[in-house]
Amino acid sequence: MTISVHRLLAVPDWRESVQVLAGDVDRLVRLARPMAHDRSIEPGELVVVVQPIPATDWRVDALLRRIADAGGAGLLLPEGGLLETTRLLAERLNVPLLTSTAPPLDLLISARMLLAAPVLDRADLVLAVHDALGSRVRPPEEVVTTLRDLLDAPVALLDDSGALITGELPHATEVRVHEPVPQRTRLGEGILLAHPVLLLDTTRPALWLATELADRSAARADVVPPALSVAAAAVQRWLLTNRIELERDARSRAALLADLLRLDDEPTADLRRRAADAGWSLGGWHIGIRIGTQSAVDTVARSREVERVLRAEGVGAVVVEHGDGWTGWATSEQEPTADRVRSLAAQLRAATRELRRTLDVHVGVGRPHPQAEGLATTIAEATDAARMARTRPESGRFLHVDQLGMAQLLLEWTRTDTFEPAARTLIAPLRGQPGDLVRTLAAYLDAESSIAETAAVLGVHRNTVAARIERIERLLAVDLGHRDERLALHLACRAVTLAEGGDPS
Amino acid sequence: MQIGLADVPALERGVSLLGSGGGGDTVTATALLLSRLAAGHRTALTPVGELSGDARVVPIGVIGATAVFAEKLPSGAEFRAALAAIERWTGHRADALVSIEVGGLNGVVPLVVGGQLGLPVVDADLSGRGVPRLDQLSVAAAGKGLTPVVLAEPGGQVLVLAEGTSIEVERTARAFLAGSGGWAVLALAPIPASELPKCAIPGTMGAALSLGRQALSADAEELAAATGGRVLGLGRVVEVSRRPGPGEHGRTGFARGSATVRDHRSQSLLRLEMENEYLFAMRDGEPVASTPDVLAVLDHRTGVPILCDVIRRGVEVTVLQLPAAGFWTDPRRLQVLAPRAYGIDCDPVLLEVRR
Repeated sequence: MTISVHRLLAVPDWRESVQVLAGDVDRLVRLARPMAHDRSIEPGELVVVVQPIPATDWRVDALLRRIADAGGAGLLLPEGGLLETTRLLAERLNVPLLTSTAPPLDLLISARMLLAAPVLDRADLVLAVHDALGSRVRPPEEVVTTLRDLLDAPVALLDDSGALITGELPHATEVRVHEPVPQRTRLGEGILLAHPVLLLDTTRPALWLATELADRSAARADVVPPALSVAAAAVQRWLLTNRIELERDARSRAALLADLLRLDDEPTADLRRRAADAGWSLGGWHIGIRIGTQSAVDTVARSREVERVLRAEGVGAVVVEHGDGWTGWATSEQEPTADRVRSLAAQLRAATRELRRTLDVHVGVGRPHPQAEGLATTIAEATDAARMARTRPESGRFLHVDQLGMAQLLLEWTRTDTFEPAARTLIAPLRGQPGDLVRTLAAYLDAESSIAETAAVLGVHRNTVAARIERIERLLAVDLGHRDERLALHLACRAVTLAEGGDPS
Repeated sequence: MQIGLADVPALERGVSLLGSGGGGDTVTATALLLSRLAAGHRTALTPVGELSGDARVVPIGVIGATAVFAEKLPSGAEFRAALAAIERWTGHRADALVSIEVGGLNGVVPLVVGGQLGLPVVDADLSGRGVPRLDQLSVAAAGKGLTPVVLAEPGGQVLVLAEGTSIEVERTARAFLAGSGGWAVLALAPIPASELPKCAIPGTMGAALSLGRQALSADAEELAAATGGRVLGLGRVVEVSRRPGPGEHGRTGFARGSATVRDHRSQSLLRLEMENEYLFAMRDGEPVASTPDVLAVLDHRTGVPILCDVIRRGVEVTVLQLPAAGFWTDPRRLQVLAPRAYGIDCDPVLLEVRR
């Protein structure tokens, strides 16, 4: 095994005490031995003078020459008293000449350890980091300071945009936050090392742990990444622990919300109590907000971001992870004025735009409704609006119920991907039959089941209409006198004619 | 061999080269010699072979802090006192003088003293170069022993060390110097001329003179080629460091130091380890030269050898390696001046080609 003199200089007890007076520090060291008077020097040998001989002794020069002739790797002497001649000679012979303030024997031992088992240095550091961070969950600030002390180098924790969270790092901006792999970047003489902190179910790092090794320490860059990885795991543990708390919290909030939405009576005292504990006020006027997104999105993890964006736009609202997205509402003491509602809608529209930078969301907003039962109503409206917003890119995936008549709302609802195929299936038996049965059915239902008016609308004889209705009822096996079936068929006709571009009237 | 006024610069250059960065500053001794010659006194070098076999030759020279020698000038009485003491102790008359160390000021001093005392000076010495310690003199290296030894310091004290090993003599002499004026005249027991070839290094004074002549007339490369030496480097001194030497027996030894030259052509780093002399050279961490070869650092502009204690950062220098005297490369004596004798744990790195 060979290592460079440069690498040796990064060994902790060498780094502090050894000075390079001359020679090429990239020279490879194969072995390190104490000087002995009458033995030959081997290629790649670093000769360590452990016995006290005067630094001015001519034998130091002779030794340098022997090292040069044998292809040795350098000479390490105790510091002090060395002649300029000796330094000039080392320079001339290009033999690394090192002096040390520490006992050379100690340095010899650490050099031999590194030569014998280069991984030991790494293992030592990993164990030290593990010992310091291992047993319990520690906040990231503590992880950063512990690691900084162990590495004797600046350490920082960055978020996924590269912004500093804690610690300090002169070249934090050099971390490439879009490449979720451990990184190593040259910085002139130094090296920047960064390790992503990943959560289990994402490839995008939540955080980055980074350190910078300056000058001499840079040669030790191969030792540090595993230690960084252990520390990153400690940060990850902290995140996961935090996450469990968030999840627990999110679950109880979602359950409370579900109970509130199911409410069709005055809320029970217990429910009121739970709402109060959650900091939700059930009294006053509520405006429901629904933020829908894809099922792949980790809603618990992104809740904070959603809350942050809403707050940034001036929307004070409760937000709860709910299904594939978030459900929320803004509450006010008094019935909100039209202006207030408009400005809230404008704020939410801006928030939607902001959220859509990183998240595929569609947002719906309900009308103001009072009290606990009003909450369910406005949320239901918001949910319908959000569902529509999803299919309407032209609205910026944002819809406010106030902007829609209820009829339009209903029609919009029939346009959904789920309803339309169902509608087609429902009236499929009428297709391909003689007589314009679909149009007849639509007109009949529009005319409130009046055969005379239907005949007038269609411009046919009323007997014809009656016969067609009879056929329709037979083909579809329905009773048009039954209100539910009538409603279903009415919607289906609308959906199909709308989809086909026909005029429903 | 007559030494005339015109020969003095060559002699001075030669002995300071052989000092290998040590041996003391020659300026004062040279001035004394010049004034004697200018006053009409005659000075000569006598080859060993011209002496009769039983002639007694007294080794003489100055030891200690030679920088003090320049400040506290000799009166001449110290030499006379030292000679008188050794003659009295051994009961032998001195017939001639020989330098204890050709490298540095002791390459010149005996010529001055010989004239004053009326004794011939033999063309030989006990070092062949600059050496820092008494136990490294050739008589000690040859196993003859140093004692009896006389030390006479300018304050008037005269010390006779009758018995003791060479190392003890060295240690006692240093203690005496520390307690007196910083330098002293050293005289050893007279040596019969017939024994000189075995325990001294003949011909070194004449050799220093001719080395000096070559040095004055040629550049460093040519000098190296002519003397069997070589140029180790040519460049600027980038660092000089001095530090207390390793102590022995609870006393600090000579100060140690190193000087590094970056070669202009190859950009290689030449590091010189020094004590009192330049002892050892490494190029880019590899040993390339050592004592007992002579290592001389010359001012690049003037060619004047730069002593160890004055070399400083920023000067342009040429570094020369000159071959050691054959006396020292003999395996029986090599360890006396080898790097390990100075506490440098390295085998000698010597020039292959000998004169």
